[in-house]
Amino acid sequence: MSEARDAYIDNFPAEAKVVRAAFYSSFFALALGGVFGIIQTLHRTDFYRFIDPADYYTVLTAHGVFLVISFTIFFLVGIFTWAITTSLDREVEDIRFTWAWYLLMAVGITLSGIAILAGFIDSIDMSASVLFTFYAPLQAHPLFYIGLVLFVVGTWLAGLDWFRSWWAWKAENPDERIPLPTFMVLTTTLMWYLATLGVAVAILFFLLPWSLGLIETVNPLLTRTLFWFFGHPVVYFWLMPAYMMWYIMLPKVSGGKLFSDPLARVVFVLFLILSVPTGIHHQYLDPGIAEGFKFIAMTNTMFLLLPSLLTAFTVVASMEHGARQRGGTGYVGWLKALPWRDPVFAGMALAGLMFAAAGFSGMINAGMNINYLVHNTFWVVGHFHLTVGTAVALTFMAVTYWFLPQVTGKALWSRSVALGQVVLWFVGMTFMSNAMHRGGLLGIPRRTAEPQYDGFEFEAAVGSVGELDAQVALGGVLLTLSLVLFFANVIGTALNGRSDALPANEYAETLSGPEDAPLVLDNLKLWTAIAVVLVIFAYTFPLLSIIDRGGLLGPDVNPFPVSLESVAFLTFAVEHLGTAALESAGNAVQTVVPGVIR
Amino acid sequence: MNIHTYEKVWLIAALVLIVGFIATITYGSVALGITMVGDQEETIEPSELNDDERFGEPRVEQVGENEYEAYVIAQTFTFYPDPIEVPADSEVTFYVTSRDVIHSFSVAGTNINTMVIPGEVSKMTVEFDEPDEYGVVCNEYCGDFHHTMEGLLHVVPEDEFDMTELSVEADDEIELGDEATFDVAVENAALDDLETTVTLEIGNETFEETITVAGGETHETTFEVDSSELGEGDHDWTVTVDDYEESGTLTVVEDLEDEDETDDGDDEDGDDDSDGDTDGGEDDE
Repeated sequence: MSEARDAYIDNFPAEAKVVRAAFYSSFFALALGGVFGIIQTLHRTDFYRFIDPADYYTVLTAHGVFLVISFTIFFLVGIFTWAITTSLDREVEDIRFTWAWYLLMAVGITLSGIAILAGFIDSIDMSASVLFTFYAPLQAHPLFYIGLVLFVVGTWLAGLDWFRSWWAWKAENPDERIPLPTFMVLTTTLMWYLATLGVAVAILFFLLPWSLGLIETVNPLLTRTLFWFFGHPVVYFWLMPAYMMWYIMLPKVSGGKLFSDPLARVVFVLFLILSVPTGIHHQYLDPGIAEGFKFIAMTNTMFLLLPSLLTAFTVVASMEHGARQRGGTGYVGWLKALPWRDPVFAGMALAGLMFAAAGFSGMINAGMNINYLVHNTFWVVGHFHLTVGTAVALTFMAVTYWFLPQVTGKALWSRSVALGQVVLWFVGMTFMSNAMHRGGLLGIPRRTAEPQYDGFEFEAAVGSVGELDAQVALGGVLLTLSLVLFFANVIGTALNGRSDALPANEYAETLSGPEDAPLVLDNLKLWTAIAVVLVIFAYTFPLLSIIDRGGLLGPDVNPFPVSLESVAFLTFAVEHLGTAALESAGNAVQTVVPGVIR
Repeated sequence: MNIHTYEKVWLIAALVLIVGFIATITYGSVALGITMVGDQEETIEPSELNDDERFGEPRVEQVGENEYEAYVIAQTFTFYPDPIEVPADSEVTFYVTSRDVIHSFSVAGTNINTMVIPGEVSKMTVEFDEPDEYGVVCNEYCGDFHHTMEGLLHVVPEDEFDMTELSVEADDEIELGDEATFDVAVENAALDDLETTVTLEIGNETFEETITVAGGETHETTFEVDSSELGEGDHDWTVTVDDYEESGTLTVVEDLEDEDETDDGDDEDGDDDSDGDTDGGEDDE
């Protein structure tokens, strides 16, 4: 081992393997999601159609689930594990436990993926074309729900792993402040535990038993509300690793320091508190939920703008600080001094810029009365392709160019290809998302295979529907090219030989450090308690009212599709498979429990 | 806590922005009256919509001078009624429910947009100023043919809008010497009484009757025509009420075969402007 090298893989060789596995799982999902993305882009816009329109919805389900569940969350567990080990400067407590949660996640998403992809093959009587939101009475094969449960349980164990590291570290360092990256991981994990309760209840108590035929009906509004209890905070679960990168990596690659550690902590605390009690803003147009509850969700949502606005300030200020360290001057002239040729910096900066645009369309979505105009239209698709599709995805791809050498010990295959890749993504998404937003204003619906209707046409005040379609398709093609470049770099790097000249495994220092932050900020129990209370306030009455109105199991509605004749026959087999999987998961946990208890 | 001055300014500006947003939305709700789809409506059993007073017959109904109510069912993969016709310069309250999965009822290019959830009724009151034609789409994925789910909303000029519906039941074939009967039903879904004339033309004969149909009621008239006056052979007939017309052919024969003579006119032309036959014949549309 070279003495000069101080990369992550040198200090944490065992953890680097897990992080690498998580990254590769994430990239595999990104590749699948990308393929399905271009298929549906060309189909929807009618530039090239080679699938049956009914299969479009299977493609769409796969695109959604693989990208927003597997791609984002596998990447998250990778960098969170890196952040914990690096900032606490200690190995994970038990690497077998770490592998166990990774494997559980991998098995889970594979099962769900099989259920989705089986929808393409008519001879297999299995499908899960229910989209990422799986609204009942649309029903998926039980395997889909079982896989999701295993995946989420895997993330819960990952969270436990990070907490164990922190508890052990705290025992040894009782008087020290929580290092910022660890603080970010812990608050995000707490938010995740709270958020996933909703989807866990929806699946375990209602959807899974229903798909197995154990109960006949579910209350569609109830399971939908429980989904959004989880469905909004999950977007912050995708976003928080990107935020973490903007706080602790971007200042460093800009050449400076993080502007303020205390405000970074405030931001993450606000996300912990406010992420969950806002889910009803996805249901502004749902019948059966009183306007008052929607108003409360709207108010919470608006206050959730605060941490993002604070982040915008801190990120820009940190970049300016970096630029001035590099010799930048003037009110805006300092921008020229930033390292725009560094793909890690350029990717993150462009992602941040897109996120600002996404913030504006998000403010529109959050305004409950203007939401009538855009709800469930193509506008919304434009919005989240800026948030998760760019702010998150582009940040992840950009930091990959820093992380890959750290976890493989190999130099990046090509920095110029990497730079081209991030710029191409930015350009592609500019075309695609602006056309999606504009299309939404005309009333073009989202989630629709062929939004060309017999009885009427959408009327564009400026431009034309054809022009919008062309922009979406062009954007989609550029994004696909960008992905090809990304994978070329990932594969090229993996095939590279060992490099002796890797940067050290470090993150940004701060101008105003943790000593400036009030101690109370580190009181995770307090913030968790406040978050729980807010959730109780925001959700108890809506949920009780929904159950009171529609009943726990809802009205008499048939599951859909009803064509799965052999599902009852399969139920038995699947129940066994499910139990077996749970048991093996249980065993895996048990084998590491001695390590936990010690 | 040590916060930089600029950051304090930014923080305050951000809070002002947030409070400003909340204020504008509150203004929209309270002063402009943009209310949200809410929980005002009772739940409903999706499997029993056919027997429901409101949704048994999806329709537009007049409830005030310029006020109408539209009862709409969304189901895979259509909307009922289709098209929905309402007058310009009116206020229409939509009640929309689903028979099966979650749909939406969304009028393209407007802010008429609601989720439609089985078991729940979405209520929305909308003002229509100008005559126009709008497409209605379902914007929530509802199954394999989701993309084919569409409807039309016609806002017609006030003077062209009426809510009269005509349906006629008549014999196809009768024996010479028997009376041919024409059961004419005129429905008036408007609020005001309708004074009009029902005209039956058959062969060279014309029958007329002046009727008054009370608001929200259906008036039934029966014409009886002596077939010996008509003579043997095919006779075309037409029933007219205002701009509505129903027509058919009556065959008078010497001797009826041993056939079931209750066979009705079976609406062979099933034309669109009388799609609401009160005899429930629309279920197979």
